[in-house]
Amino acid sequence: MTTPQTISSIHAAFDKKLLSPVELTQDYLRAAKASAHNAYLTICEERAIGQAKEADRILAKEGRVPRGTYPLLGIPLGIKDVLTIDGVRTTCGSRILENYVPPYTATAVERLESAGAVSLGKLNMDEFAMGSSNENSAFGPVLHPTHPDRVPGGSSGGSATAVKAGLCVAALGTDTGGSVRLPAHYCGIVGMKPTYGRVSRYGLVAFASSLDQVGPMTASVEDAARLLDVMSGGDPKDSTSSPNAKENYLQALGRKPDWKKIRIGIPKEYFVGGLAPDVEKTIQNALKWFESQGATLTEVSLPHTSYAVAVYYIVAVSEASSNLARFDGVRFGVRLEKAQNSENLVEFYKHVRSLFGPEVKRRIILGTFALSSGYYDAYYRRACQVRRLIKNDFDEAFRKVDVIVSPVSPTTAFKRGEKINDPLKMYLEDIFTIPVNLAGLPALSLPCGEGDQGLPVGLHMIGPQFGDAEILSLAHAFERRS
Amino acid sequence: MVNNEFMQTLEDENLTRKIAALSRLELTDGEISLFTTQLKEIFQYIELLKKVDVQGVEPLTHPLDLATPFREDEVHVFPPAKDGKPKVLGSAPDVLYEGFKVPSIL
Repeated sequence: MTTPQTISSIHAAFDKKLLSPVELTQDYLRAAKASAHNAYLTICEERAIGQAKEADRILAKEGRVPRGTYPLLGIPLGIKDVLTIDGVRTTCGSRILENYVPPYTATAVERLESAGAVSLGKLNMDEFAMGSSNENSAFGPVLHPTHPDRVPGGSSGGSATAVKAGLCVAALGTDTGGSVRLPAHYCGIVGMKPTYGRVSRYGLVAFASSLDQVGPMTASVEDAARLLDVMSGGDPKDSTSSPNAKENYLQALGRKPDWKKIRIGIPKEYFVGGLAPDVEKTIQNALKWFESQGATLTEVSLPHTSYAVAVYYIVAVSEASSNLARFDGVRFGVRLEKAQNSENLVEFYKHVRSLFGPEVKRRIILGTFALSSGYYDAYYRRACQVRRLIKNDFDEAFRKVDVIVSPVSPTTAFKRGEKINDPLKMYLEDIFTIPVNLAGLPALSLPCGEGDQGLPVGLHMIGPQFGDAEILSLAHAFERRS
Repeated sequence: MVNNEFMQTLEDENLTRKIAALSRLELTDGEISLFTTQLKEIFQYIELLKKVDVQGVEPLTHPLDLATPFREDEVHVFPPAKDGKPKVLGSAPDVLYEGFKVPSIL
């Protein structure tokens, strides 16, 4: 497709009447339907065309894109299938919700659509966002956009592939332990997890409520800032959304970093054994660029890093086991014949919940165990205590530096089937992303080069809580390096 | 003589069965055996946390310090579906009048 790929270039083409929102939406719908990546689970053609026609109408009336009132006018987006849209099937990549049509729209999506965006459809993902490779979707794995034998990463793998393969301009993902940043790193796009509470979780089907956050997945830092500008900010429908005043992220990109004052922290615990040489080399090259601009590189220590995965696999599964109790086949979802014919309620639940896939079952059992009487103090309580120490490590580091830079994951995209039978090995892919969720920090993955076999490598930039604008601004400067 | 490892596995598998029942999940014998092995491995890994000195550390259950916001106790009418019925019944597996119908359980 030769159509422009970024929001500002699309709007310039709209202004010059080189392209109309309906034409653009039709182009993307055609590409989405023709694609063999398995990135879309549902394409909402009629709804999307309706939104594009409305954009056409606004454009005709105004003569040019009214960027103030409709900053995303006519921009075709893909939405991870864990965020609800009123009247559009939402599966969470699970058989248990195969026929679920929610009666309401997620706040993040509603804000994007109110800004003029077009939702093309719902994107494939690991079932209930549990996975690092997208092999856990009940509807089949998503293919990597450029290396078909590799995984696109998870759980927002459909979103990453759709952006990279030109099946939407930008996408929404969600990140509980790295689910936006890992696929962004594997596929070579920008993926941002905002500070916890920046974006409302209303309409996001909960996996682990104290960790989940909605984030933009885009072709450029500028587009990520544009999406975040629209969807961030407190929401009365989500009591954990932050009432902090929102920042103007796009404006932040316009400010040239005062490099002499920028202190970049390099966590020594992230550059130890297990880091693939091609990833390390690419990250070191990126760091040299920052240094050449005048930034100060400082070693920092996050001493509890090696405990983060263990903490996460107690905290996340404990929250998941209670969040997923709502899938009981009473009010929505699939109710199998054998459930309908159950003799009692316990049998009924078991039949309904037989539709969960193996990873979801595994995590529900882990979480139920961790929270069960006699084990709670040893597991959940202790994990939350170590979680505090992990957050304290970051607080301490951010007294000395403005931003922390690291790899997103120890390796580039691995081969499909390579880790699916070894859950622990799969969990360890998230060693560098998980601490960020535990501490509620903003972080993004930014393409910074290629490793072996031309596989993309992402640079992980982590900021202090509510330092979203700062990391976007530094990422933007890096992206524009010549 | 029955070896200890075998007895331990049986005990472990019974624990998996018990937790699965608490979670309202039905697992096949194959899943019980596979999950027991995998969960043991995961819990062995999690034992790592015992090495950390957590004496006096306040547990962190949520990343932000937020107060519970209160709002006015007002009714917000949820718009009905096109057929005039409550939208929330649209995805109900079974409906009776304006309620969710479940199989008889007694």
